[in-house]
Amino acid sequence: KKSEVSEVMTKVDIKPKSMHRAKIWSDDVENLYRFQQAGYRDEVEYKQVKQVDEVECWPETGFVKKLQRRDNTFYYYNRQRECEDKDVCKVKVYVY
Amino acid sequence: LRGPPPAGSVKQRPAKRTAFRKFYDRGDFPIAVQHECIGNKIAWKVEIENLDYHYFLPLFFDGLCETEFPYEFFARQGVHDLLEHGGNKILPVVPQLIIPIKNALNLRNRQILCTTLKILQHLVVSAEMVGEALVPYYRQILPVLSIFKNMDGEL
Repeated sequence: KKSEVSEVMTKVDIKPKSMHRAKIWSDDVENLYRFQQAGYRDEVEYKQVKQVDEVECWPETGFVKKLQRRDNTFYYYNRQRECEDKDVCKVKVYVY
Repeated sequence: LRGPPPAGSVKQRPAKRTAFRKFYDRGDFPIAVQHECIGNKIAWKVEIENLDYHYFLPLFFDGLCETEFPYEFFARQGVHDLLEHGGNKILPVVPQLIIPIKNALNLRNRQILCTTLKILQHLVVSAEMVGEALVPYYRQILPVLSIFKNMDGEL
């Protein structure tokens, strides 16, 4: 299963307008946690930097499965939730 | 009259230098540890899908005997990643995992026992027919677990 973000956002170097911290866990927060662990703001920046159209995700949960870091090493993520409640407040949510 | 001396069945045994440690010190593993502000993860230099499981999976299992950082962390997390993303590459390698599992259990170290048991739990659900593939090797794995079976909460 591949996640998709608007093609326009990935082709143009778009910067976010604002940022706030996540307060409660959700699927989107989980995926943001995974992108930020790999050194990216979110899926938009990952696709801009890596020039890919889709991100590999677990079919059962929709969570990000594999990301390539800026140094070209790979991070692999679990099928289930990895972001613990104590880490939720560290996740940054960007608004475009 | 004195009773027989203790047999030492639950006494910890010293660990020998593992092949995992030797290969890690030589830099033969395609991994690097990344210390981020949110948790620790293994960064793989090569995609797991392209790794030769017949070579790497038994080596990582051999590292289960380790208790020192970074060897213990890399072995445990490396096995986890390999099992999580191995798919049908895991089943053919199961016979090669028995000796490392047996070596880890025979150390009678409580920490290693717990880690190995969790790895075994992950192994049997990692791919189809893995649980069944372990059945012929029960006689090699279960005796040590039988020694500790009554230690509820003490491990």
